[in-house]
Amino acid sequence: MKIDLLQMVETGGCSAKISPKLLEEFLKYLPLPSDPNILVGIDTHDDAGVYRVNDELALVFTTDFFPPLCSDPYEFGQIAAANSISDVYAMGGTPVIALNIMMFPSSKLPLEAYAEILKGGSDMASEAGLRIIGGHTIDDYPPKYGLAVVGYIHPEKIITNSGARPGDVIILTKPAGTGVILAGQRLKMASDEDVYQAKQLMKMLNKTGAEVMKKFNIKGATDITGFGLAGHALIMAKASNVSMLFNLSQVPLIGNTYRLVDEGCIPGASFRNLDFVENDTSFGTDLNYNLKMIAMDAQTSGGLLMCVPSGISDHVISDLHLAGLTQSAVIGRVTENQEKYLYLED
Amino acid sequence: MQIIDTSGQQCPAPLIATNHALRDSQTGDSFKVITDNLTSFSNISRFLTDNKTEFSYEEANGIWTLTITKRTTDRVAARPEEYCKTEIPHFAQGDFIIAFTSDRMGDGNDELGHLLMGNFIKAIKDLDILPAKMVFYNKGVTLGAEESSVIDHLKEIEKMGVALLLCATCVKFYSLEEKVKIGTLSNMFEIVQVMAKAGNVVKP
Repeated sequence: MKIDLLQMVETGGCSAKISPKLLEEFLKYLPLPSDPNILVGIDTHDDAGVYRVNDELALVFTTDFFPPLCSDPYEFGQIAAANSISDVYAMGGTPVIALNIMMFPSSKLPLEAYAEILKGGSDMASEAGLRIIGGHTIDDYPPKYGLAVVGYIHPEKIITNSGARPGDVIILTKPAGTGVILAGQRLKMASDEDVYQAKQLMKMLNKTGAEVMKKFNIKGATDITGFGLAGHALIMAKASNVSMLFNLSQVPLIGNTYRLVDEGCIPGASFRNLDFVENDTSFGTDLNYNLKMIAMDAQTSGGLLMCVPSGISDHVISDLHLAGLTQSAVIGRVTENQEKYLYLED
Repeated sequence: MQIIDTSGQQCPAPLIATNHALRDSQTGDSFKVITDNLTSFSNISRFLTDNKTEFSYEEANGIWTLTITKRTTDRVAARPEEYCKTEIPHFAQGDFIIAFTSDRMGDGNDELGHLLMGNFIKAIKDLDILPAKMVFYNKGVTLGAEESSVIDHLKEIEKMGVALLLCATCVKFYSLEEKVKIGTLSNMFEIVQVMAKAGNVVKP
């Protein structure tokens, strides 16, 4: 029997995330734990929490899981794991240990699919040098999978989303459009090549990007996932108390992403993300509608968005290109805090 | 009046159906879109508002019926300059690739060869069907350097949606790492794969 996980879900990958607006509302009411060893907590909505162990060592701790975004269980496992590990890389950390988190409908799917998902996750973890040392599964439909990951980091070398400084240029390391392509795949509008390219990108660890960030001592970065380019940029601009200007025509795109959006293939998550950012965003008067909606597109295992001092940006870009992230591009710049946090232009 | 019933369909299928109907109708035409899904209803409304298209709606028992009238502000037809200005790919691409193996076209006088290559690259932009990809190897990679006389044309072709692949070994050989302003660096395996898969390989 050929297993097709896509038959089981409406929204897969990070599109299944709860609305960021809603999340922000509820998080407000959660008491913030006070402990001087919490170096990065919930308050700045960063990619992962960071806890100081001693002067030399802090732990980066994060979790992510989601429903399937592709038919093949092994590939789903790989992508979910790459996405979970990404948050550690976005903070500049080195992933060390992890636990599997799995929801699996044992009465609806053969157990070999379960094994395949775990195998995909485990292979991706090996690639990252990460050891999976346990996990937890409950019976649930549709399936969901991800990891809780712990990484090491030096307490003074944390890369946060509050590290953007006016004058920095903004670099994106992977092309955008996974949400659009995955929606297009379900509607049979996306070409095989687009889907293949999107899957390759989602399986690509942000490890190389993180190494480049460390080499150049970059302070501000995040990874682009469910809240889209604009959503994650907004969180970062707020945490850094700066404004960000994006030239959306410079954003590298996967295959026919633009054409699909032009056809109206705009996933529901994009509208949720638009709701989240619009009060804090100035949209250029002639802003191309398709580009605007691409900036809202929920990414699964998306690229790193890094803020780089303008003097070294050429070196960073060429290092990224040489490391295989050949579509890395400068897509905007950071300015002093202005009336709005985000400025989106063509 | 045309009625498009998207009942039972999930986002973004109803939005795509609406967009297509909008594109295919004439200014002043009205049509109805039916959806049984609140998310799709709110996304379509948002899409229409953003694109300055008038509509009204009725809701009964969880079924939304939108009546949409096309105005001249159609985002595709009325603002072609927007597409040119933003230089976004919306061009047809065929099952062929172009391989650039040299900075000159044909054998013979070098100066003539350069001139011909410039004209060749310029002419690509006017093709009804663009190549799927363009690969550059050996001396061909120098076409992609910042001082190349055709660099602006290549940038335009890239923005039209054509992927440009440059042989990384060649870029290194000619010490162009810092100067290459287009495309992505590629390896021989990818280049072989792209050439083997293409319906036709055109070589100037």
